Amino acid sequence: KMDATSQRVLQYLTEVEEAAEDVLTTKQQIVDLDTKRNTNREALNALKNEMSDSNKVKVCFGNMFIKLPKSKTREMIQKDQDQLDEDINNLRKGLKAKVNHLNEMQGKPEFKGYKLSPLSSDEIKAINSLLKR
Amino acid sequence: MATTKVPEVRDITRIERIGAHSHIRGLGLDDALEPRQVSQGMVGQLASRRAAGVILEMIKDGHIAGRAVLIAGQPGTGKTAIAMGIAQSLGTDTPFTALSGSEIFSLEMSKTEALSQAFRKAIGVRIKEETEIIEGEVVEIQIDRPATGTGAKVGKLTLKTTEMETIYDLGNKMIESLCKEKVQAGDVITIDKATGKISKLGRSFTRARDYDAMGAQTQFVQCPEGELQKRKEVVHTVSLHEIDVINSRTQGFLALFSGDTGEIKSEVREQINAKVCEWREEGKAEIIPGVLFIDEVHMLDMECFSFLNRALESDLSPVLIMATNRGITRIRGTNYQSPHGIPIDLLDRLLIIATSPYTEKETRQILKIRCEEEDVELSEEAHTVLTRIGMETSLRYAIQLISTAGLVCRKRKGTEVQVEDIKRVYSLFLDEARSSQYMKEYQDSFLFHETQTAKMDTS
Repeated sequence: KMDATSQRVLQYLTEVEEAAEDVLTTKQQIVDLDTKRNTNREALNALKNEMSDSNKVKVCFGNMFIKLPKSKTREMIQKDQDQLDEDINNLRKGLKAKVNHLNEMQGKPEFKGYKLSPLSSDEIKAINSLLKR
Repeated sequence: MATTKVPEVRDITRIERIGAHSHIRGLGLDDALEPRQVSQGMVGQLASRRAAGVILEMIKDGHIAGRAVLIAGQPGTGKTAIAMGIAQSLGTDTPFTALSGSEIFSLEMSKTEALSQAFRKAIGVRIKEETEIIEGEVVEIQIDRPATGTGAKVGKLTLKTTEMETIYDLGNKMIESLCKEKVQAGDVITIDKATGKISKLGRSFTRARDYDAMGAQTQFVQCPEGELQKRKEVVHTVSLHEIDVINSRTQGFLALFSGDTGEIKSEVREQINAKVCEWREEGKAEIIPGVLFIDEVHMLDMECFSFLNRALESDLSPVLIMATNRGITRIRGTNYQSPHGIPIDLLDRLLIIATSPYTEKETRQILKIRCEEEDVELSEEAHTVLTRIGMETSLRYAIQLISTAGLVCRKRKGTEVQVEDIKRVYSLFLDEARSSQYMKEYQDSFLFHETQTAKMDTS
């Protein structure tokens, strides 16, 4: 039977592993969503440039192709795209908190300036010469 | 655009006085702030180092912005060393500005301007830049010219990371910048989403061949990981002075010009202060009060001291550390006597750390550290002789003898400095006491000699 100390160490390590796993999962989620975002973007481009002659397009749902009007399809994908952008944004926000939590658990110092909100692009432009060093 | 000629803002020149203290790596304290006898290049001065350690912790926690510290002690007792130690322990992120009291006297700039600049150099502002970028390895790049020769070009760019691959349709502008950057398949590039700026990071490792003919500056990099469209956050630390300078030099975002003097107008400074405070309110900036170190502070005059008094009360003020080796002496620019040559009202605000002369054992250790620093091997007897010289004349003189003796030793093709080498340089170079002795004996034969020269006026 394990004594109290090793029990505690084990518990601590489990917690750290869990936090690390959480970070990795979120990262993978972002990657997956970005993949989807890029294929959607390719589809939108294709609709715009390559399918200019026909009025209806075939869209693949699962393992079935359905003929849909072009404008409807574009609308649908665009909506999906906006949803994806929002999801990725939310995941990134959450990821920061999770990385912070992991660092804290491992006793690492918080990143400097981690909580700052970014300057606007005009402000960055104004002091750009300082940053390019 | 107005074409007014803007005089360039002059910076006060920085004089490196750290040569003699290049061996200092920190204050040599343990985690409980207890000083170790010999550590990080520091020897002895336990009480003052502990005091400096307490102040250091307060600076790190940001508790004592706008306070001032005075390090007082006889010449050669490690005042500058302690200040350097504080600087080293603060790390790269906390601004540390060092200047010598006499540096502020210049014809080009008023004393208070020089001091203002030094103060503002010692205050850092931490800000964050956030950009959306597309980062990937170029798999294929295909550009079609229209058959007629004119008109818009079209093209496709295939990018990949270790996780995904996608095709972008290229517009005219994009094609132009890709051509300008000479982007080829196998390059790893980033595209700034907001500006469309393309930068080449290097060539992908997977494309490296045995006999590639490449420019010397071509760098090989790994294929990027993760998602293609990334968010990049960069945290910068700039000093208030740097922001002042760009805003007086150009029509910056506050669009103000400096005057004709090459000094920064106080209006500019006030505007910058307001802007930075606004940023802080919005959570866009953190202010890092740094450290301003003024060595030989007795060289400042009454005007400067009253400026310091006022500057310390500003809410954007760094920690001021001063050092002096004077006792009760005249305040420059007045006829009043005051301890350390500093007015009583300023002295009253200071935390004072005193340093005391080194013991023989400590002197010996310092000389040993300096020998290592200057790469001079010293024999045991020579070390003892040098320590005696250090005790009887001054530590600085003994340290000077190390490198000179090292040279003499190398000239006779020796590997280790012996007592003879020390003796030789001791006879070649006079220390302060022997030099004064010499002057007393032979002063009649010097030129422009005045018999009743009173004490030299040092102001």
